[in-house]
Amino acid sequence: MSALGRALAAEQVKLRHSLAAWMVVLAPMLVVLLSVLQISLSRLHGPSSLSGQEAWLRFASGLFVLWVFLMLPLFVTLQAALLANMEHGPQTWKHLLALPLPRWSHYAAKLFVLAAMVVMATALLALATPLAGWVIMHTQPAFGIAGPAPWRWLAVHASACVAAAGLMIALQAWVAIRWQSFTTSVFVGVAGTVAGFLIGQSARFGPWFPWSMPVQVLARQSNHLMQVVVVGSLGGLLMAGLGLWHFDRSEAG
Amino acid sequence: MLAIETHALTRRFATGHGVEALDLAVPAGSVYGFLGPNGAGKTTTIRLLLGLLRPDGGQIRLFGQPLTRQAREPLRAVGSMVESPSLYPHLSGYENLEVTRRLLDLPPRRIDEVLRIVDLERDAHRRVRVYSLGMRQRLGIALALLGDPRLLILDEPSNGLDPAGIVELRALLRRMAGELGITVFVSSHLLAEVEQMASHVGVLHQGRLRFQGTPGELRDRYGDPLVIRCTDGDAVCTGLAELGELAQRVDPTTVRVPMPQRPDHEINRWLVTQGHEVHALGRSPRSLETLFFEMTGRDAA
Repeated sequence: MSALGRALAAEQVKLRHSLAAWMVVLAPMLVVLLSVLQISLSRLHGPSSLSGQEAWLRFASGLFVLWVFLMLPLFVTLQAALLANMEHGPQTWKHLLALPLPRWSHYAAKLFVLAAMVVMATALLALATPLAGWVIMHTQPAFGIAGPAPWRWLAVHASACVAAAGLMIALQAWVAIRWQSFTTSVFVGVAGTVAGFLIGQSARFGPWFPWSMPVQVLARQSNHLMQVVVVGSLGGLLMAGLGLWHFDRSEAG
Repeated sequence: MLAIETHALTRRFATGHGVEALDLAVPAGSVYGFLGPNGAGKTTTIRLLLGLLRPDGGQIRLFGQPLTRQAREPLRAVGSMVESPSLYPHLSGYENLEVTRRLLDLPPRRIDEVLRIVDLERDAHRRVRVYSLGMRQRLGIALALLGDPRLLILDEPSNGLDPAGIVELRALLRRMAGELGITVFVSSHLLAEVEQMASHVGVLHQGRLRFQGTPGELRDRYGDPLVIRCTDGDAVCTGLAELGELAQRVDPTTVRVPMPQRPDHEINRWLVTQGHEVHALGRSPRSLETLFFEMTGRDAA
């Protein structure tokens, strides 16, 4: 097995009994639950004027906006900090880096796991959306959801969100591994999320700020969709390369 | 065959600490006690030997193979524990070993084998966060042994252990070297510990290697002091000074001559002919600890 394969297999064991593993399920489910509760408990005046498909898209967009604006950047921040802190806390870098494996393999495995968590959590959100819509059909018929779920819209937007989050993921992984302090890592992520909340509303700067790139995927005029997908994923690859290079050269983890 | 060989190994820190021109020679199959007071550079040396720090100069060879930043293959022969054991508290002992087993691509039976060696089979499936310090230390050694190493590098392994734990650890390390034929390089400031198990010692002080060899060679170099029990210690001291021997009064009836210039029987005869009452006279073997403190210029007290 390759060095990266072995490092990934080891990461899989480290995730057992950890909060990080549960977060993959809890974060998207919380967004779904809150959205369902909000719509189900709201008082609507009369039936919606939207068609069944339009209501589906309105509901799915609402879910995804909540995800990309707030939950996704906070999820990436926390997961990166938890994954890195598994080594910083008990000082296990000195054991890992004294093993006959290339140093970069440990960094690459962490980054890969973080990216995989974002993919899984976003996929769960996309898969839970039709189920949540079905619940709303019964709890709030006036909302207007009817007909089949917008599977194509969900698949395209979920994939685009993940790709656009590439640079944010790579940056946050580097910060969490580079600095031993949990607080530093969380502060950078929270600051990025808050700044992204404001910058994400700007058509001029939003597509260039790593924490607000996924937001652009859901902008009303999706002019920037391709731009953020390309910049997010290529920027993520570039930042991953820089992080690997830096980690390989540094003395400790 | 040398398990560890360094030539002019140097690493300096901005604080002024570090190690300077270390020429370590650790024979394969030995238990090498690496001694030095806190801050002498023991952990820096160990981190250099494991590729965790980059040297400013010098070379490292493990079993004849050069270890560099690019060539990490020699580490395959090494198991290590630096300072405290590196353990994931949220995982069980078994799962901790499983992490390293997967990284080294070893067969699952190795986990059972090392658990048996460190006698942790019964507690293997309990979370590490509930382990005692001694159990953690044993699990740390099991981790170091997992890759079936020819060389075990342990940094202060008895830190924080109670006396029973220290005895247990000493027996375990002796078994490693004896039954398993592993070279054990163990740093410590607990000199009595090292004295009981080391076949070779290296003494580090202020980043420099002050001595390297067997404990016997160390004693031969410094010799054992002559201890004289007498009625009047002060008078014997004065008399010996006239004879040209450097004597120290230990208490009113005991005199110590650290490096006698004459044979013991001549000193004895001279004292008796001078009218001193000598009750006993003989060599007192120095402990490694005493030698260590003499070499590093510190008070044993």
